[in-house]
Amino acid sequence: MAEIKIEFKNLSKQYKDVLAVSNFSAQVVSGRVTGFLGPNGAGKSTALRCLLGLVTPTSGEALINGGSYSDLSEPIKHVGALLDSRGFHPGLTAMQNMKVMASASAIDFSRIPELLKLVDLEHATNKRTKGFSLGMKQRLSLAIAMLGDPEILVLDEPANGLDPIGIVWLREFVKKLAAEGRTILISSHQLAEMQNTVDDVVIINKGELVAEGSISEICKGKTLEEAFLDLTLRRSA
Amino acid sequence: MNALFQSELRKLIYLRANWLLLLWSGLFAALGTVAPIVVLNSETQGMGMGFSGTSTPEGINAVFANAAGGYLFALIMGILIMTNEFRHGTAVGTFLVTPKRSTVLVAKLIAAALAGLVVQIFSFLIALTSGLIALTFFEPHSPVTGELIWKVFRASALSGIVLGIVGVGLGALVKNQVAAVTGAVIWTLIVEGLVVAFVESIGKYLPAGAITGLVDLDFGSNDFNFSIENYLSPGPAILVLLGYAAIFSLVAMRTTLRRDLD
Repeated sequence: MAEIKIEFKNLSKQYKDVLAVSNFSAQVVSGRVTGFLGPNGAGKSTALRCLLGLVTPTSGEALINGGSYSDLSEPIKHVGALLDSRGFHPGLTAMQNMKVMASASAIDFSRIPELLKLVDLEHATNKRTKGFSLGMKQRLSLAIAMLGDPEILVLDEPANGLDPIGIVWLREFVKKLAAEGRTILISSHQLAEMQNTVDDVVIINKGELVAEGSISEICKGKTLEEAFLDLTLRRSA
Repeated sequence: MNALFQSELRKLIYLRANWLLLLWSGLFAALGTVAPIVVLNSETQGMGMGFSGTSTPEGINAVFANAAGGYLFALIMGILIMTNEFRHGTAVGTFLVTPKRSTVLVAKLIAAALAGLVVQIFSFLIALTSGLIALTFFEPHSPVTGELIWKVFRASALSGIVLGIVGVGLGALVKNQVAAVTGAVIWTLIVEGLVVAFVESIGKYLPAGAITGLVDLDFGSNDFNFSIENYLSPGPAILVLLGYAAIFSLVAMRTTLRRDLD
């Protein structure tokens, strides 16, 4: 029986004149890869930041394992997050950045070389990250997200900055993590890629839930891109 | 908290900019004692500022009181410890690891106290050594007593700890690194210096005035109407400085640190 790992319950976030997320409810269940899709400005990143305690919801709640992120003890051992490629100091090397994060949660450093190898960055272990390409930064962010060996991963646009080879690598990487039984919530614009990667889909537009279900229920014989455009354009029209 | 503190120490040690700042504090400190020794022993006797030469205890006091003058670098170190998080976007990662922002702030306050202490002890030692070497070129001079060294060391250490803490509080409040550092430098070197020099009744409660009280040395400069009696004694001076740190940190906790991280 699949367990609810992530739940958005009537989540709303108002920024001055902009309602970024509006009464949004959705669920992510254990052991599945869930694609979180929506046009630019749909409210995906805001919803994810509410989930991770970085943004305070105006109303409603976003829960992980039934509680808020800030209530988790040693949260990065439960949830790994990739939000953008600016989560580390440019003046530090990849290894130093990871040691800073690991030591804050008392995670053994012996895990770091293994993770850098996992994201194909072992050649850049001792390079300062200010010289990293966007793709390398994304890989390092993924390695940091994996530091605590979390059961849940929240990835916001992880394919940003990756070249085609990197995108294929990411697909295999996510599939490998999913095969290990992890729960993955992944937002992306790469719809063709997502079709090959995700089990479930949550579509958001203008802050509101548009559709939620397994990929077969959402696509109904169409491609994910066609289904997405139908759902978002139809709702906008 | 221990793990978080260790993480903060790693950031301090790994960043080259911090070591550069430490070196600058040493250079500034050396200038702080060597330059006045040269000036006080020049033909114009302290450029007519009313200071005694280094042949008098007051002159020696005036020179070595500057050995505690590197507190600006402790303040900047504290500011950088906090504002680096916002400048480089690492605040997101930091708050993902430790969602309770007050815990992060406390860890940074402790790390900044330690960093400020290291900065000030380093600059004190450089200033003392440089000053003692410079004095050998201007014999005879009044002795540099153990009591003088102890007072300046105490002031250096305490001001380093407290100003590091003040820096974190200020950085948490202002968040913009350039604005916080520039503001601190202008305030410390220009605005505060003028207020402390000319309006002692107010100046003694400002950070630089409180630090002067903390140093607790009589320079004997009658032309400047300077008397250590007009300043706070070391105990209240520490409380005033900690008061600044507490106010900045509490205001930051209720304002800037509560805001959304977008």
